[in-house]
Amino acid sequence: MISKRRLADLVSTRLMLAATALVGVTVLFIAVMLFLKARPILATNSLGDLFLSSSWRPSRGEFGLFPFIMGTLWVTVLAGIIALPVSILGALYITEYAPPRVRAVAKPVVDVLAGIPPVVYGVWGLVALSIGGIAIGFNVLSGSIVLAIMVIPVILGVSEEVFRMVPQDVKEASLAVGATKWETARNVVIRSSLPGLAAATILGFSRAFGETMAVLMVVGNIARVPSSPLDPAYPLTALIANNYGEMMSIPLYDSAILLAALVLLLVVLFFNIAARLVLIKVQQKWA
Amino acid sequence: MNDICLRIHGLNVSYDGHTALKNIYLDIPHRQITAIIGPSGCGKTTLLRSINRLIDLTDGAKIRGEIWLDGHNVMSDREDVTSIRKRIGLISQKPSPLPMSIYDNVAYGPRIHGMRDRKELDKTVRSCLETAGLWTEVKDRLQSPATRLSVGQQQRLCLARSLAVRPEVLLCDEPTSALDPVSSQNIENRLIELKKDYTIVIVTHNIHQAMRLADYVVHLYLGELVEHGPASEVFQRPKQDRTRAYINGTVLTKPRTDVEINLKGKVCPLNFVFAKAALENLEIGQVLKVIVDYPTAITEVPRAMEYDGHKVLGVKQLNETDWEVIIQKRE
Repeated sequence: MISKRRLADLVSTRLMLAATALVGVTVLFIAVMLFLKARPILATNSLGDLFLSSSWRPSRGEFGLFPFIMGTLWVTVLAGIIALPVSILGALYITEYAPPRVRAVAKPVVDVLAGIPPVVYGVWGLVALSIGGIAIGFNVLSGSIVLAIMVIPVILGVSEEVFRMVPQDVKEASLAVGATKWETARNVVIRSSLPGLAAATILGFSRAFGETMAVLMVVGNIARVPSSPLDPAYPLTALIANNYGEMMSIPLYDSAILLAALVLLLVVLFFNIAARLVLIKVQQKWA
Repeated sequence: MNDICLRIHGLNVSYDGHTALKNIYLDIPHRQITAIIGPSGCGKTTLLRSINRLIDLTDGAKIRGEIWLDGHNVMSDREDVTSIRKRIGLISQKPSPLPMSIYDNVAYGPRIHGMRDRKELDKTVRSCLETAGLWTEVKDRLQSPATRLSVGQQQRLCLARSLAVRPEVLLCDEPTSALDPVSSQNIENRLIELKKDYTIVIVTHNIHQAMRLADYVVHLYLGELVEHGPASEVFQRPKQDRTRAYINGTVLTKPRTDVEINLKGKVCPLNFVFAKAALENLEIGQVLKVIVDYPTAITEVPRAMEYDGHKVLGVKQLNETDWEVIIQKRE
């Protein structure tokens, strides 16, 4: 006879397995469902027309997603370029340089930034960047700045945790041979944090790819491939949010939108996997 | 005054109002090994960290006083702290390899101080690794990460890294406390060799180590300098009662051996079995001396005995191959 304790142990193990499986299955379920719903358009339009064509004329049955894919990449990558150095240098300052009093204030401020709802950032971007204030207009740059401000707390917060994990002994070892603080930060702190920083970046980018509200409000939403940061863009997320449920009388329109969602899912998945591969490489080198 | 390397003049250190060092006046002799002894929390490490200014990193530390290294006051704000630290190397308690290759660890200091020439770097790396007694073990894998070395090798790497910037003083903060007996012995031998070229200051909890190494002894107690002088005087005829008590407390309680067994030629795990069997027959508090020559046994026998709840009083090398392990029986 199985004792009560053993039974509890067995049940809890299975329960945890089920919970984990549920998470994995959900991703698969979403992907499969999106694929099934996108199938009608995949059957009528060629892949080349869908992904590489720039013409988006739903009423004529032309659903070129290329401008939206490029819009997403432009906004996200530019946001990353703005956010990464700010986050990493900020985190470095807070952990390595800031006097205790500054540290005590900076940390909660960063946490508050992370908690502000996206729509608030969007309205602020609209008022401060696009029309009033700096008046950059509705374009990639406005979208990237808003997005960067949104992901900075995420990347900065994680980077800070990562930097804090670097043992004091190792930093002192560097200082003890006569390295300056900056040399130590660069050669020791950042270097031993590389895997963690990569993880922080993945986290930040994953959020940036999917962020909709704030970006949609400032980015212009014109279905054209941007050629500079000052051009308007129309990211995939904005396309889905703006159009699903509207104009459903147009044939294949909903199928095209769900295809866009599938593409977004695949792009994020691709970035995650690529980043993880990089992470494994980096870890192997320093483990 | 040629025989004095460091002159500590009226050093006071406090952390958030708690005094760590009180009015220390001390001369540290040139090219000798000075051991700083005393119980935990007596300010040994604070003194060491003051000498190379690592104490600056501690939040809330307040420092007054002067430390002179030939004409430079280390404590002065006008001195460049990086050039002071270049002259005063540090070996810390826990080996702390930098997150880079073995080669880069040793080349780190010279590179920072401007050495770029590949040949010159190669030469420095090699000679420092040789001095640290690590060259033959790592010469074929200089590019592999330093963290893959064993703890004992890592500590010798740290020694090589310190030597690479050609310091004059070497500060050692309990450099063997994280190491097994063989590696400790190895580091001690290096230090003895190095004292012909370097002034060495070692903080140690281990009075036997101080006795083996020190030419000069400094006894600190609760932040005060109790006594200092040549090792022979301090150890044999301590002037202060507190020093006598400290030395006696850790040395003279060494009990005589009740039983001795010779396990030479016995490999692991046979030597455990014999040691355990011998302990079975002893009364609590009695002492067993075991002689072993199997390399693994030197570290593993003491560890296993401590795991069983007994107290290991000492591990000592007797000759080329033989080591003695002294174990006191507990419950």
